[in-house]
Amino acid sequence: MSVAVEIRSLSYRYPHGGLALENLALSVNDGECLGVLGPNGAGKSTLLLHLNGLLPEHPPKEPSVWIGGEPLTAKTLDAVRQRVGLLFQDPDDQLISATVFEDVAFGPRQLGVEGPYLRSLVASCLGQVGLRGFEERAPHHLSHGEKRRVCLAGVLACKPTVLVLDEPTSDLDPRGRREFKALLQSLPGAKLIATHDLELVVDLCSRVVILDGGKVVAEGPTVPLLSDEALMLKHGLEKPHILLHRHPHG
Amino acid sequence: MRVPVTEADRRTPLHRAPAAFKLAGALGMVAGTALLPRRLDALYCAPAAVVVLAWLTCRMPLAYAGRRLLPVEPLILGVALLTLARPSGAPVFLSTVVKSHLCLLTMFLLTWTTPFPETLQVLRRLRVPAVMLTTLALMVRYLPVLAEETIRMQRARASRTFTRRRGAAWHNLAAIIGQLFVRTADRAERIYLAMCARGWK
Repeated sequence: MSVAVEIRSLSYRYPHGGLALENLALSVNDGECLGVLGPNGAGKSTLLLHLNGLLPEHPPKEPSVWIGGEPLTAKTLDAVRQRVGLLFQDPDDQLISATVFEDVAFGPRQLGVEGPYLRSLVASCLGQVGLRGFEERAPHHLSHGEKRRVCLAGVLACKPTVLVLDEPTSDLDPRGRREFKALLQSLPGAKLIATHDLELVVDLCSRVVILDGGKVVAEGPTVPLLSDEALMLKHGLEKPHILLHRHPHG
Repeated sequence: MRVPVTEADRRTPLHRAPAAFKLAGALGMVAGTALLPRRLDALYCAPAAVVVLAWLTCRMPLAYAGRRLLPVEPLILGVALLTLARPSGAPVFLSTVVKSHLCLLTMFLLTWTTPFPETLQVLRRLRVPAVMLTTLALMVRYLPVLAEETIRMQRARASRTFTRRRGAAWHNLAAIIGQLFVRTADRAERIYLAMCARGWK
């Protein structure tokens, strides 16, 4: 199985001096879903921004991130960025256009896609997230769950091979959460999910890494790792409720 | 105050007219009005008649125009009052007030009859610089978000404000404006990152 994302010796210091990531290394295989856990301030969101080349502010000469085997450098930034779809935590940060159509079309337009193909691409992406016919709606009139789906459609329209999701289920009601989880499950390709929603991680991710203080402090298959109550408590997490009632052998 | 708008209100011939036609008409009206002489005369009847006719045709509610006119009224009057400082400034004062109102009403009629995305599309076809279009689109997109954020901050402050002193109200307002500015700058940074993530250069 080929490696979709590889990170080696990734360190990052905030402009004000604080160390956000320290000598971080991890990899995600094609088709794999990796959960990124950790307490607030552990560096999860900072890590995700590195995968899309949004951090560091100036791409380094020596790469620390490889997407599909290609190193992320200043030269490859545009090509690599297109292959990584990043879903931000707050949909209002991501929905920038006056209509849903314009928003989903934003990414493809940057790639020079226009005309009938753009219209059919937008319609198909909206269909994929269950929002067919929403093209003319204004983003600020949508529910939170719908906004998230439009964001996902906008990401899918760029045809990424890796999906990177920052707190994808925060602020969703139980039905919205369930539907969004099913939607994520249906999507192919490698996925990295940074979240505090441990039940989502149990359901979607085969493997997790735990970040704390900018370092990977634990890595392994989801259920055994999340069942380690002492480890979870040590890093500001809790054993998920769903595992409290699960038999250790399945 | 929100103006109740029904679908029937939006089914007038002016609503159905092509956006490019309406935009060209509105810009022509504004330019024509601005070029009128600096004293009131019979020529002013022409743009006034067009505005009244368009208003009656598209059934723009009075409250829609009033709500938008109110915040800019001090600016119009402020500029117009300056003309009174000149010798024989009264005719210029009157013409400035009338011209400003005619131009503003023309733009209100345009926004009432033309959804903003359609106006943007016309501007894009006219090859208006992309940065300008993006700025316009972002402004319209984020005004409701900022308004909601302001209301949330106002409520949060009100829930912990236990005095009705005028000074406290002003203090709260100043704090909200300051906070809104900081939050808007933070949001702008996040929006920029989200745009870059989808290929914006």
